[in-house]
Amino acid sequence: MRFLHTADWQLGKPFGRFDPEVRAALGEARFDAIDRIGEVAAAQRVGHVIVAGDIFDTEGPEDRVIVQAVSRMQRYPCRWWLLPGNHDYARNGGLWDRVRRKASDNIILLTDPSAQEIEAGVWLLPAPLIHRHHLDDPTELFDSMETPGAKLRIGLAHGSIRDFTARGETKNQIAPDRAKRSNLDYLALGDWHGTLKVDPSTWYAGTPETDSFQRDEPGHALMVELAPGGEPKVEPVRTGRYQWLLRDWMLQDASAFSAECDVLLSAIDPASTLLRLSLAGITGLADRVEILSRLDDDLRHRLRFLDVRSDDLVGRPGEQDLADLKVEGLLGIAAEKLTDTINARGTDAISARRAMERLFVEYHRGGQA
Amino acid sequence: MSLQLRRISLNNFRKFREPLTIEGLGEGLNIIIEPNESGKSTILEALRAAFFVRHATKNQLAQSFAPYGEAVAPEIEVSFDIGADSWKIAKRFLKSPQVEVTGPQGRAQGEEAENRLQALLGFVKDSSQRGDPATYGALGMLWVPQAQALEVTAPGNIVRNSIQATLEAEVGTIVGGAAYERVRKRIDEQYELYWTPGGKAQSKGRWQAARDRDQQARQAAADATTRLDALEKSFGDLETARGRLKVLERELADETELEQRADLVQALEVAKAAAQILETRKAEHENFSTNLDRLEDLHAQHGAARAALMAASATFAAITANREQLTGQLEAGRTKVTEAKAALDQARNDRAAARQALVEGEGRVALRQRRAAIADARQRHTELLNLEQQLGDARIDAERLIPAEAVARLEANDRAIAEARAGVNAGATSIELIGDIADITIGGEPLTPNIPRTLTGETQIALGGGILVIRPPATAASAEASLAAVFERQALELAEWDVVDLAAARTRNDTARDAQGTVQLLESKIAGLTSAQPLLDLAAGPDALKLLVASLAPDSPTPDDDAISVDQLTRRLEETETAVVRAETMHDQAVKDLREIEDKDRPLAAEQAGAERDQTNASDRVAQIEGRPDFTGLADAIVKAREDAAQAAVKLAEAKRDATAHDVQVINRKIDTIDSRAKAGQTRRSDLEKDIARFEAIIESEGGKGLASVAAAAAEEADAATQALVRLDEEAATIKLLKDVLDEARAEAARTFVGPVAQRARVHVERLFPGAELNFDAELGLTSVTRSGLSEVCGTLSKGTQEQLAVLTRLAFADMLLEQGMPVSLILDDPLVYSDDGRLDLMTEILEEASQRMQVILLTCRDRAFRHLAATRVQL
Repeated sequence: MRFLHTADWQLGKPFGRFDPEVRAALGEARFDAIDRIGEVAAAQRVGHVIVAGDIFDTEGPEDRVIVQAVSRMQRYPCRWWLLPGNHDYARNGGLWDRVRRKASDNIILLTDPSAQEIEAGVWLLPAPLIHRHHLDDPTELFDSMETPGAKLRIGLAHGSIRDFTARGETKNQIAPDRAKRSNLDYLALGDWHGTLKVDPSTWYAGTPETDSFQRDEPGHALMVELAPGGEPKVEPVRTGRYQWLLRDWMLQDASAFSAECDVLLSAIDPASTLLRLSLAGITGLADRVEILSRLDDDLRHRLRFLDVRSDDLVGRPGEQDLADLKVEGLLGIAAEKLTDTINARGTDAISARRAMERLFVEYHRGGQA
Repeated sequence: MSLQLRRISLNNFRKFREPLTIEGLGEGLNIIIEPNESGKSTILEALRAAFFVRHATKNQLAQSFAPYGEAVAPEIEVSFDIGADSWKIAKRFLKSPQVEVTGPQGRAQGEEAENRLQALLGFVKDSSQRGDPATYGALGMLWVPQAQALEVTAPGNIVRNSIQATLEAEVGTIVGGAAYERVRKRIDEQYELYWTPGGKAQSKGRWQAARDRDQQARQAAADATTRLDALEKSFGDLETARGRLKVLERELADETELEQRADLVQALEVAKAAAQILETRKAEHENFSTNLDRLEDLHAQHGAARAALMAASATFAAITANREQLTGQLEAGRTKVTEAKAALDQARNDRAAARQALVEGEGRVALRQRRAAIADARQRHTELLNLEQQLGDARIDAERLIPAEAVARLEANDRAIAEARAGVNAGATSIELIGDIADITIGGEPLTPNIPRTLTGETQIALGGGILVIRPPATAASAEASLAAVFERQALELAEWDVVDLAAARTRNDTARDAQGTVQLLESKIAGLTSAQPLLDLAAGPDALKLLVASLAPDSPTPDDDAISVDQLTRRLEETETAVVRAETMHDQAVKDLREIEDKDRPLAAEQAGAERDQTNASDRVAQIEGRPDFTGLADAIVKAREDAAQAAVKLAEAKRDATAHDVQVINRKIDTIDSRAKAGQTRRSDLEKDIARFEAIIESEGGKGLASVAAAAAEEADAATQALVRLDEEAATIKLLKDVLDEARAEAARTFVGPVAQRARVHVERLFPGAELNFDAELGLTSVTRSGLSEVCGTLSKGTQEQLAVLTRLAFADMLLEQGMPVSLILDDPLVYSDDGRLDLMTEILEEASQRMQVILLTCRDRAFRHLAATRVQL
């Protein structure tokens, strides 16, 4: 028996920190992910897509978001099993009532914690969230669910495994050995946006379309094959379009930067890449200016999105830099003053460094003009 | 190179109303000597006008060029050399202004000429009203008018700029000025994007836009959150309402209340029956009690009636006995009253008779008195008539009185007669013939012997045959005439008053006066006689009396038969009145006595009647009671009635106990409570259902708007806006810092500029003030002098020192400009007036040396001070 396990679609996520066109592209990509999952299901002849919560980014999305989601799912013959998560928890008169009014038969909303026989002898045990935060383990209800004549028991839940407490999350906790405890053949989990295998029978599918810089991997769904008594076979299937890359580069000069750039560009599709680049190191001022101008003038335009954090890239004016300025008389005096302020490491040091950089930028720009 | 002034000529300029020409100015030192007030300052002013003041200007400065009170055109011509080139300026102001500049490039006029001058000497157009030396450039500073000689001023912009090249070249670090300007320009442009010139944040542009965006985004986020919160609240309210409804439904479904109610209804029936019995028992008890009360009451009434009867009988007997005693007294009293009344009546009759008699007696007396009065009146009337007769006579006599003035006239006339007669006698001739006078006639008349005769006129006395004519003097005749006149007057007067002579007149007057007295006497007599008589209604006065007498009937004699006098009658009346008083007193006493007895009797009679009535009533009451049918066997009936009442009371108590155990009201209240609780529950359910419907409607309508998405998007937008703003804040701060640093760098550099100036000045200053150090500010103004480690601010130095420093710093600037290749000349107007001899010598020495490098012109009135110098001297 095979099915697709996915989660955390986060439809309608606003991406408000991005420019409008990036924002629109990212938002649209999340809907497109549904198509990709549907296409995989159709191609692989899989009858069920199990979505482990957070289908919508908020409990109150716009109607357009609901209609888009429903209409995309309707295109494919498979059945979509949707579990309310903490972002889209179920409540009276809430989101799921709205979805239900628009949904078609192949979309099943699991807003009640009652087992469903999705195929003969295959039971799906959902643990929907009816609040944003649950202090109890929602999967405890699995034990009280009747699954008569079950050959396979598939748990479906949304929340974090207790082992994740290192991240400070204490809400919606799920026992890590839930699959074993509740005699599940597979526990399909959502909430963690990366694909994660907790144990052979317990998996986080991760989001099908990445939505933050937490990891480099693009989004995936899991193709799961179950057989009674056997270990599940789980295969990740790429569904994501965009890659959200986090890069930290230590640089000594502009050439090192060029090398890093080349490596990066050779490995990615720049048009579907979002990059958060943190630069660190100490370079000459001229190098720093060159690096930053290359970022601004070239890389930023190639990529879908670029966010540069360059505060740790310290541009030290080299002797040559200072000598260049010194012959400029007044500019040399100004540079000396700024250098003194920077070296004094007072509260003005950061401003002074920026001012120094700006002085160089303007000086060189003038030189080219 | 030096600028060499050769010739200056002016006309109609200020005090020079006549043309003035200064010629022969040479290279090096020139001294123009002229006494005070002769216009050397004007010459410098004219020079500045020729070079720097535009010919066409009409500003205050130009207006001041015309001689006071004249509307003429001031004219100036200056010839000068710069290097090998000769130049000439001819300028005319105010009226038909014009300028002509002749130089190596030929001749120019108007604007072109002015521009050529500006280019040559490096100054700019002056657009001020009173003239601005700062626009005059280098020469403006080096041509020093008297007034400015003391000021250690900083050079103007033009001078600073023109020596900057020199300075920069020398300072060495000041290269790359172009790069600075370029960077500076960019930074300034960017600075303007963020900051106002005053260093405040720009209120427009991208920074403000970012602030606006941030604020708007935050506001939008807050609004979205508010709306979302409202929606969330509706969700919460909905849940609460649903929960309540659930609880309520459970309560409503609870059967316990219904069962309780059924029990209560049953209990109510029992209670109602008990209440019924209680009512019956109450009625029974009431019935028996009433019967008992009635019987006991009847018994008591009977006893009371009998007692009352006995008491009334006793009282009646006692009162009757009392009254019998009083009856004798009452009879006696009444008799006494009757007698006293008869006596009183008799006394009153007597008094009336006496009063009548007295009235009659008094009438008679009055009649008699009247009659007497009438007789008296008649008597007086007779006397009156007599007196009036006398009065009439006396009045006639009195009226013949001759007035006093008439008497006086008579007396005067009498005296006049005597006087006239004396006059006649005096003038007259008195003759007397003694003896025989026969035949002797006088005036034909015989002469009387022995009687002297007086002659007043010519008298012929016949004496015998002869006639003796006697002619008395003429005066006698006139005297006689006057005598005759007086006589005549007297005669007239006497005739008027009807008297023969004065004596008669006097006699008459005496008589008249007596008569006047008599009149008064008679009048008073008459008045006394005719006094008023009230008895007859007679007023005072003779007329009233006459009238009365005339009206009286003739007198008739009346008999005087009055036997009893009025006094007697009066006395009799008084006696009767005394008798009346006594009788009245007797009567009153008798009445009073009777009343006392009656007063005693009256209450007794009333009491007697009351007692009698009581007696009757009591006996009636006894009879009535005893006549009633139930009187017979009353005592037995009472005993039975008591037993019945006691039994009824016991039954009533039982019934009450039963009724209290099953209180209808309490049970009803309980039933009501249960009913109203049920009803309230229904109402509450209906309300909750309505609320739920309302919340569901709100959620349905608001939920579709995607408020959560909107809020999330708005929050992220707000964050993005804030980050963008932070970036711009940083950018603005960076730009500001950079600009400030560049400003500081320039100021620092400017300080290094002044070094060379100080160095040049020091060459000269060293000679005047050995070891002194000059300090200049960034504007090249001399700020202070440091001598032996002590810094003195310029303004605190002595005037002499200030002036010397001023000249020396100007000389330093002139040297630098000279090195620059600028045309330079130094003109000092009446300089060094405050200098002592030693300093003056040094200064003149320095000036002499300077004149080796440039033309120096001193305008002075002190020939002696500069006499020792080798110079071109021009005497005005």
